Amino acid sequence: MIVEYAWIIPLLPAIAFLLIVLFGKGRKEGGGYIAVSLIGTSMILSLLTIAEVVLTGKGYESTGINWLGIKGFQFGLLVDQLSSIMLFVVSVIGFVIIVYSLGYMKGDHDVQRYYAEMSLFIASMLALVISSNLVLFFIAWEFVGLSSYLLIGFWYRKPSAASAAKKAFLVTRVGDIMLLAGIIILYINLGTVNIRELFVLAPHANVGMLTLATLLIFGGAVGKSSQFPLHVWLPDAMEGPTTVSALIHAATMVTAGIFLVARVYPLFTPESLMVVAWIGGITALMAAAMAVVMTDIKRVIAYSTISHLGFMTVALGVGGYFAGIFHLFNHSFFKALLFLCAGAVIHATHTQDIHDMGGLWKKMPITGTAFFIGAWSLSGFPPWSGFWSKDVILDNVYAYNHVLFAITAGAVILSAVYIFRLFIIVFMGKEGKATKHAHEVSRVMTTPLIALSIGALFSGFLVFFGLKSFLMKSLPGNLVGALDKASAISAGTHEYITYFSISLVAIGIITVWAVYSLKIVEARSIRHTFSPIHTILINKFYIDHIYLFISKKIIWNISVIVDYIDEYFVDGTVNGIGKLSIAFGRKLRKLQTGVVQDYAAWVLFGTGIILIIFKAKGGMI
Amino acid sequence: MIEVTVFYYLVLSVIIFSIGAYGMLSSKNGVRLLMSIEIMLNAVNINLVAFSSFQGNLTGQVFAAFTIAIAAAEATVGLAILLALYRSFGTVNLRKISKMRW
Repeated sequence: MIVEYAWIIPLLPAIAFLLIVLFGKGRKEGGGYIAVSLIGTSMILSLLTIAEVVLTGKGYESTGINWLGIKGFQFGLLVDQLSSIMLFVVSVIGFVIIVYSLGYMKGDHDVQRYYAEMSLFIASMLALVISSNLVLFFIAWEFVGLSSYLLIGFWYRKPSAASAAKKAFLVTRVGDIMLLAGIIILYINLGTVNIRELFVLAPHANVGMLTLATLLIFGGAVGKSSQFPLHVWLPDAMEGPTTVSALIHAATMVTAGIFLVARVYPLFTPESLMVVAWIGGITALMAAAMAVVMTDIKRVIAYSTISHLGFMTVALGVGGYFAGIFHLFNHSFFKALLFLCAGAVIHATHTQDIHDMGGLWKKMPITGTAFFIGAWSLSGFPPWSGFWSKDVILDNVYAYNHVLFAITAGAVILSAVYIFRLFIIVFMGKEGKATKHAHEVSRVMTTPLIALSIGALFSGFLVFFGLKSFLMKSLPGNLVGALDKASAISAGTHEYITYFSISLVAIGIITVWAVYSLKIVEARSIRHTFSPIHTILINKFYIDHIYLFISKKIIWNISVIVDYIDEYFVDGTVNGIGKLSIAFGRKLRKLQTGVVQDYAAWVLFGTGIILIIFKAKGGMI
Repeated sequence: MIEVTVFYYLVLSVIIFSIGAYGMLSSKNGVRLLMSIEIMLNAVNINLVAFSSFQGNLTGQVFAAFTIAIAAAEATVGLAILLALYRSFGTVNLRKISKMRW
């Protein structure tokens, strides 16, 4: 019924994009209300679609349009349980953030471009979520990358924003190429790019080929979801407006990589899942450690996002299909909330350095409360949403591998540490120099904060309303059985792990409280004691340095050689041919004397030659 | 009495054509060049009429008539061009009228 019209969902924001580009100029808020109304309509439609999927319990796949008549290229829609969850996240959070933008972007000189690019992003993200085949998915994926690039570089006059946009584009491009290679391998070997057809063919396919293809597809997810070693672009992407960070770099686009892994989950082999798990674990721990030392409010949250994306990846890697998606769902609420709070704080204080802030609670009670809710949920302390998904993840990881469990548990402690460190420094304590003139932000900005707070508090309780069995319907039946069997091993230890994780979080919170609020130990002295570690962390494990070394020293020198070959060999050949014909022409033009009788003589000469040939051939030409 | 075959006519035609061609290539005066071209055309006419007469086919003679008419037109155009050249260059010496060269 309604689900058959799901194609309208991405179409409406796309129309908004066109309308704003064409007619937004000079309108109030640069056409912001066009974006709000059309994206709002799209949200209602997607909520109706989701309701239908929930009520009927069936996914829907359209027959699709045959593209270019190529076999297996059917461009259609697939709205199943997994897409429904993503659809919910993208449309609801997209709408909330567009409303918040009305307040946040007020007075910016270029709001028209902002709303146009945001609409384009939401349109492509919605298309990505409901595409039924990997080629259409890839097209939407690239559009998402493009709009992310445009929005990171929104304030392109700032050199740091322009270079951050370029960095994000180039780094994710590495992943995109791998994803494309993976899709091509699947198409060559299995002859289709339709996701559901791939599920049917996968069990009979060559395991080595599947491992390679899924690893390449995971490479795409590593780029987009900012996993180690391609995580370097996300912290720099904070140069964009904070609303962009909240929507694209916390709730939706970065989770597209996780969604991709979940989308083609039945194709993954145990070998490729092992890589997924370890990459996720390493990312979670590394990013959480870096988040502890950062002093820019948005960067702390950015590293936190990388860390939590690592949690989702590790969950998917260890077979916790539900755990990963559940955490994705919860994370998008509390992380979007935290970003919007950070946006409100930046809006009020005009700085991003947390040491200039402090004591903001009294000035901004609503933002402070919302931030506290987000922090509580993120830290994974019961009973709010972050706790439920983190609990399932730890359960699954424990059943898989104990070393990986230790890594993940370390990341959980650090999560609690960095987020409450941020909260205490920004909102508690004595007033910083930027706090004095701060005041609570306008209604249009606090209302979205409250809406997202409700999501951050209660989204975790969906686990009691059959979210798991709902989600599992989007996987083929035999796989569900295998996953259930794997998680049954952990059933005996489940309670202990829950108590263990709660105490981990409590240790983290108490430590932060002791250091930053009660000042039992000075933060500076801790930093001094562990100064080598601090240096490594503040330099982001030197990964940026390594990449710069590779690109400036190695790739640059290769480019110089290639340039030399191009200039002297390739260009040399082409120019040589050109020079030869010029020289030949210079001689030949002497024939054009301007005397008409010379030409007549040549005509006679030519005719004579023809006649001689005529004679030699015996009168036949 | 020698029998006059088509061969004799062809030899005559070749001689006249060669005279015309030589005149065309060697004369400096533009009017002489036009006259040489007329001679060459008439050599062709002799050819056409001779073949026509010996084969009993009138087509060749019709062609010759056409050639004469067109030669007249060509001479008109050629002389007009020469007149125009004389006005702008002050000479009809073809060696001196060689502006269109490299």
